[in-house]
Amino acid sequence: MEVEVLNGMSTLRYPVFRLKGEKMKITTRFHGTKEYEEKDIITFSKGIPGFENLKKFILFPVEENEVFNVLQSIEDVDMGLIVISPFEIVKDYEFKLEDNLIERLNIREPQQVLVVNTVTLNSKVENITVNLKAPIVINIKEGSGEQLILDTAKYSIKHPLIQEE
Amino acid sequence: MLVITRKKGEGLMIGQDIEITVVKLDDGSVKLAINAPKSVTILRKELYQEVQAENKNAVEYNIDIIKGLKK
Repeated sequence: MEVEVLNGMSTLRYPVFRLKGEKMKITTRFHGTKEYEEKDIITFSKGIPGFENLKKFILFPVEENEVFNVLQSIEDVDMGLIVISPFEIVKDYEFKLEDNLIERLNIREPQQVLVVNTVTLNSKVENITVNLKAPIVINIKEGSGEQLILDTAKYSIKHPLIQEE
Repeated sequence: MLVITRKKGEGLMIGQDIEITVVKLDDGSVKLAINAPKSVTILRKELYQEVQAENKNAVEYNIDIIKGLKK
């Protein structure tokens, strides 16, 4: 049995031992069966508003359209959120990462940070919206995430995916 | 649930480091001043509820919609 030490760099006093490369499977509602490993799991210790009891997610691209990703709960196969990079929508999207968030997500360098926003689909393309008010911040290296709520009038909960010319 | 009555200028403490003071009373609305550590998130309740609702909306979807969606 092959074992590797994770979190070796972290402030944890004791290293965490996990089985290396152990594959797990989840059969999702919309995206078939996905394989993942322990290292792919993103932990939302506060859950996500509306789903406060769900803490563990994986992220994978939508097969037919990789501009979109799916943030899939591994605790509830029916709970998957379509997400998109906000920079696909608003080139100069910005918000401040507060120090206490940087601490909670154990962020050490900007390259670890991935920001995505949820997409609310609709059969009418012009009614598809992106929630720019509540970015999901993920530390891809540490596997930690949190959905923020920005207290600003600048960004809307229902921002149209496609801007009319 | 604890319910307490406060007058203008009075306050209350939640734990040792959260302080809420009634600053102004005005015909049905009340202005509060909150002193809390930065690590405490303070949000208008309806904003949190809107995000909860939007997350729930975002879960129910027909994936075929985006399969046909190209930039």
